Amino acid sequence: MAKLSLMFQEKLVKEVPVGSRPVGIGRAPDNDLAVDNLAVSNHHARVYFEAGKLVVEDLDSLNGTFVNDMRIERVTLRDGDKIHIGKHHIKVDATGDAPVPWASDRKVAAPRINETMVLDTKERRSMLQQAAALGERTQFASGRITVPTLIILAGNTDRKEYTLTNKLTVIGKSRMATVRLKGWFRPQMAAQINQRDDGYYLGPGAKVPTVNGKPVIGQVRLNHGDLIDVCGVRLNFIIRD
Amino acid sequence: MRIESGGVSDVGLVRTNNEDCYRIVAPLNLFVLSDGMGGEAHGEIASSLAVETVVKYCVEAADKPSLQMFGETQATSSSKTRLLSNAIHLANKKVFESAQGHAEQHGMGATLTAAWIAEETLSVAHVGDSRVYLLRSGGLHQLTNDHSLVAEQVRRGVLTAVEAECSDMQSVLLRALGTQQEIEIEATEHPLFPRDILLLCSDGLTRMVTEPEIAGTLQAETDPAKAAEKLVVLAKDNGGADNITVIVVRLEPQANGWLSWLRRGARKDAGANGSAGGNSDG
Repeated sequence: MAKLSLMFQEKLVKEVPVGSRPVGIGRAPDNDLAVDNLAVSNHHARVYFEAGKLVVEDLDSLNGTFVNDMRIERVTLRDGDKIHIGKHHIKVDATGDAPVPWASDRKVAAPRINETMVLDTKERRSMLQQAAALGERTQFASGRITVPTLIILAGNTDRKEYTLTNKLTVIGKSRMATVRLKGWFRPQMAAQINQRDDGYYLGPGAKVPTVNGKPVIGQVRLNHGDLIDVCGVRLNFIIRD
Repeated sequence: MRIESGGVSDVGLVRTNNEDCYRIVAPLNLFVLSDGMGGEAHGEIASSLAVETVVKYCVEAADKPSLQMFGETQATSSSKTRLLSNAIHLANKKVFESAQGHAEQHGMGATLTAAWIAEETLSVAHVGDSRVYLLRSGGLHQLTNDHSLVAEQVRRGVLTAVEAECSDMQSVLLRALGTQQEIEIEATEHPLFPRDILLLCSDGLTRMVTEPEIAGTLQAETDPAKAAEKLVVLAKDNGGADNITVIVVRLEPQANGWLSWLRRGARKDAGANGSAGGNSDG
């Protein structure tokens, strides 16, 4: 099992194993390796396994994370590497790469594969904060609230504009459809939009819709500004801030 | 619409006990599935307690339409959806109290995913990372959000869907029954159409079998119980690392009128071809 040894002036302060859960390093007390020094940011860096390799990642710390005296953002660690954070350093023992199951430090009777667990409120908050911090840095829209909207440009529907709030938005004549088509010979369910974790996907129903003129085969991820045509109705998919 | 259903729960190839639990209440068209967690046998206790509580509440509510509501409910949703939410609130309370009352059960919990079909409306209520899928017009649509850390990170744009699938944090849930006194329930409603196929499943299926494989199996096998069995076999072929539980529900057009009779005849042929193809694979 890989382990990290926190050292201060060649004295061992603390030793932690690296399991499947990232080891948090920083000044805040919720870190696995809490380093009580003003030069250290609250959530300074973290060490974790990725694809079988031990990785250290700086979490946008003020004074930086150094591996073997090189300032790094994110780097793979080797056995014997030294991570410098403030006045402390961490010795890396990367022998035995197999990550221990996360639950192992929680006194579970026997280690088990993929043990499901629930984060308590405090853990959840800190992990989501970490996730959000990561999101901001990689320029993702983590903090923004976006509202996906369909605007009717042509055709006969019950409204002129629809906000997509459902997991599955049905376009059709059905009285339960979100976008209700009016007129003769309209199918009950002409097309549908599925909200997935990573975006909105348009799929066919009784009709094959087109997106920007191209027929939809299977499911197509919608992008801001896409023009959808189905059953003589033209819709504009936009994402509002 | 005529509704046919079938379900299977399997321990898988790695674990020694099955912490999943499901119930099909055919007369009510109610389908409930739960994936338990916690050491020793406590996952099993949590999931069966959760499922039984939800089923009992819904059966009683169906007998007594004037049943008093409790807990927070949304005014916009139909009575079935509200009942289902109430049932899950109650199940959460029961599992939580059981966990608090017995020291050895501390930390037990369960996912809960329930689907209730009334006429042409599907009510879904859900907590955790079990899933409801709808197969319609060849497309497989997930109707539930996973309440897991990785799914939340994908929604926030921190991880891509592919990264999430490779993450070793997949088992970390943000919500589950029995871990807190009050719980937030995801409740949604969807219109249903003839020939829709519903799938309720635990993560033992979705972590082992890809969505295209799931869609293909559901389309090829027209008998819901056999389709459920085939999905379990697929999950085991791919490793079977966790318990696998699957409920398949098919909505068939009502058999009356000469037009539907004609259509049904045509579809029967197509169905026979499809299942023959499925059998040769297995």
